[in-house]
Amino acid sequence: MTSTAIVAQRVRSTTLAQRHPRLLMGSLGVLAVLLSFYSLSVGATDVSMADVLKAIVGDTTDQAAQIVVQFQLPRVLLAWLVGIALAISGGVMQGVIRNPLAAPDVVGVTKGAGFAGMLLLLAIPGIPVAAVVPAAFVGGLVAAALVYLLAYRRGATPIRIALVGIAVSAAFEAGIRFLLVRNPLDVSAALIWLTGSLFGRSMSSVLEILPWVAVLVPLIIVWARKLDVLGLGDDLAAGLGEPVERTRRTLLLFAVALAAAAVAVSGTIGFIGLIAPHMARRVFGGRHLALLPAAGLFGVLLMLFADMLGRGIAPPLEIPAGLITAVVGGPYFLYLLVKTGR
Amino acid sequence: MTLSVGTVPQPTEDATHKRPKIVTNKQRVTWATLVLLVVIVAGVLWGLSIGSQHIPLSRVPGAIFRADQPDQMIIQSIRMPRVVLALCVGAALAVAGALMQAVAANPLAAPEIMGVNAGAAFVVVLAITVVPSLSGAPTILLSFGGAAAAGVSVMLLAGSGRGRVSPVRLALAGVTASSLLISLTQVLIIFDENSADSVLFWLVGGVNFAGWPDVRNLLPWMIVGLAGAFAMARPLNLLALGDDMARGLGQNIERTRLFGSALVIMLCGAAVSVAGPVAFIGLIVPHIMRRVVGSSYTVLLPLCALGGAVLVLYADIVSRYVKPPYEVPAGVITALIGAPIFVYLARRQKVTAS
Repeated sequence: MTSTAIVAQRVRSTTLAQRHPRLLMGSLGVLAVLLSFYSLSVGATDVSMADVLKAIVGDTTDQAAQIVVQFQLPRVLLAWLVGIALAISGGVMQGVIRNPLAAPDVVGVTKGAGFAGMLLLLAIPGIPVAAVVPAAFVGGLVAAALVYLLAYRRGATPIRIALVGIAVSAAFEAGIRFLLVRNPLDVSAALIWLTGSLFGRSMSSVLEILPWVAVLVPLIIVWARKLDVLGLGDDLAAGLGEPVERTRRTLLLFAVALAAAAVAVSGTIGFIGLIAPHMARRVFGGRHLALLPAAGLFGVLLMLFADMLGRGIAPPLEIPAGLITAVVGGPYFLYLLVKTGR
Repeated sequence: MTLSVGTVPQPTEDATHKRPKIVTNKQRVTWATLVLLVVIVAGVLWGLSIGSQHIPLSRVPGAIFRADQPDQMIIQSIRMPRVVLALCVGAALAVAGALMQAVAANPLAAPEIMGVNAGAAFVVVLAITVVPSLSGAPTILLSFGGAAAAGVSVMLLAGSGRGRVSPVRLALAGVTASSLLISLTQVLIIFDENSADSVLFWLVGGVNFAGWPDVRNLLPWMIVGLAGAFAMARPLNLLALGDDMARGLGQNIERTRLFGSALVIMLCGAAVSVAGPVAFIGLIVPHIMRRVVGSSYTVLLPLCALGGAVLVLYADIVSRYVKPPYEVPAGVITALIGAPIFVYLARRQKVTAS
C-alpha cells in the first residue's frame, strides 16, 4: 500500500466541502477578495466603492483615491500576507506537534519574535527595518525551543506545552513592557508591539514580508503530504520511508519563520494561527493539501475582518487588530480547552 | 489526594481526633519575620528618600512627622502614600494568593492567573469610562463584582462541572480569560483617552500615582481581609489535609471555601481598584514563603503579608531607577521577576488530564 492510500484511508471524506473542495475553496477566495475591496473603502474617511475601483485601475488624481492607494491598500495587502503567514504557520505547527492547542502564539513564538524585533529596533536606532525580520526569526526560534525544552518531561503533552508556552510568553511580554517603559514610544507604536496592529503600515512593510510568504508558503504546500504522513505517528511514518525527525524540524523551522515575518511587520497578533487552521479542519477535513490553503484563506478573512472592525467601530479611533482577534480568539481557546479535556 | 507543594503532615492514628500537628521551625519563622521587618524599614526609608528630588536619608525620619520644609512636604504628600500603598497592596495580593491556593487546593491558583485581577481592572476601567467622575468606595465595590465574576467563570470553565479541577487546566483557562479581559480593558482605554501612562497603569499596575485617598480607600478592606484571613488559618490547615480528612475532622469545608473566596475577592478587588493589576505577587510570594517557613497557614499567611509588602515596595523602588525622571509602574518589575517563576511552576505540574 502506498503512503497516499494509507493517508486517504485515515482521513476519510465526510462533509460536503470535502467532496467539492475546489468549489468551496473558490468561493472562500472570492469572499476574501470582495471583503478586501469593501475594506479599502472603510476608514476615517469613507470612500465610495466606485472611487476605490477607479483608484485601483489607475485614476489617482482624485484625493479619495490617493487615500485608498496610500493608506488603505498597504493595509489590505498586509492583512492578506499576515493572515496567510500566521494561519499556515499555525496549521503546520498543529500538524507537526500533533497538538490541537499548538499555534505560534501558544508556543511563545509571537511574543519571542516581538521581543527580539523590538530589542533590535531600540538597541540600534536607525537600523533598516528589513533587518527586523531575521531578528524576529531568531527570537521566535529561541522562544519555541525554550518552550519545547521546558515542557519536555518524558514526552511533551499538548496541555503542558500550552501552559509552558503561556508562561514563556508572559516572560517575553514582561520584557516587551520593560523595553516600552524604558524607551517611551508613542502610544500607537507601543500598541503595535503589545497587541499587534496594521495601523500606519506602508508599502515597505508589504515588501518586507512578501518574499517570506512567497517562498515559504509554496514550499510548505508542496510538503503538505509529508504532514499527512507525519500525522500517522512516528513509527508508521518512518515505515513509509519518511525521515521523521528531519522533516519535522524543517517544517517547524518554516512555520516559525512565517510567524516571525508576520510579527516583524504587524506586531504580536494573537489567535489567528490557532483559529484559522481549526476552521479549515472543520470544513475541509484533515488532509493538509486542502487544509493549509483553506487555513490561509480563513486567516485572510479573519485579519480583514479584525482590521476593518478596528477601523470601523469608532472612527477616527483605531482599535488594534490584535485586540479584536484576542477578544474573538480567547473564548475559542477556552472552548478548545474544555473540549480537549473530555 | 496529593498536594505537590509543601509538606502535608500525616496524622497518626491516635491523633486523628486532635488538632493535627503541623511542624514549623520556630526559629526559622522568627528569623524570617525579623529579616522581613528590617528589610521593610530599610525599604521605607530608601523609598522616601529617592525620587526626582533626592532627600538625604538623615532628614527622612524627621519628615515623617513634621511638614514644615519643602522636602518634608514632598515626603508627606507624595512619597509617603506611595510607600504605604505599596506595602498594603503587596500584603493584600500575597495573602489573597495564599488563600486562593488553599481554597482551590491548587498550587497554580493565584489572583493574576485566575483572571481575578484582570476582571477587577476591567470593571473599574469600564466604570471610569462610563462615569468619569467615579472614585472611591463605589469603584471598590464594582471591582469586587468584577473580581468575583471573573474568578467564578474561570472555575466553572476549567472544571466544566466535573469533580476536581486539574491545576494545569485551571491555569490555562484563567490565563486565557485574563488576556481576554486585558484586551477588552485596552479597547476601553483606547476609546477613553489614549494616553500611554494610563494604558500601562491599567495593564501592569503600580503605585506611582498613589495619593492618600487611595490609601484611605484600601485600608479598611485590607484590614478586614487580612484579619479574616489570619482568623481562618486553622480551617485552612485542615483543608490542606484533603476534603475527606477535613470533613472527618468536623470541618464545614464548603463554608471554609466560601469565606476564603470572599476574602480573596475583597483583598484583590480593593488592591486592584487602587493600584491596578500588579502582576504575579499572589503567585510567587506564597511559594517562596512556603519554602522558608513550611505550609502551616498560621505562620504562612502573616509572613506572606510581609513578603508581599517587601516585593511591591522594592519593585516600586527599582522602578524609579529604570528611567529616572519618568515614573514606571512597579508592575513592570514584578512581571519581570514573576514570569520566570511562573515558568518554573508551570513546568513542575503533573499533567493528568488527557
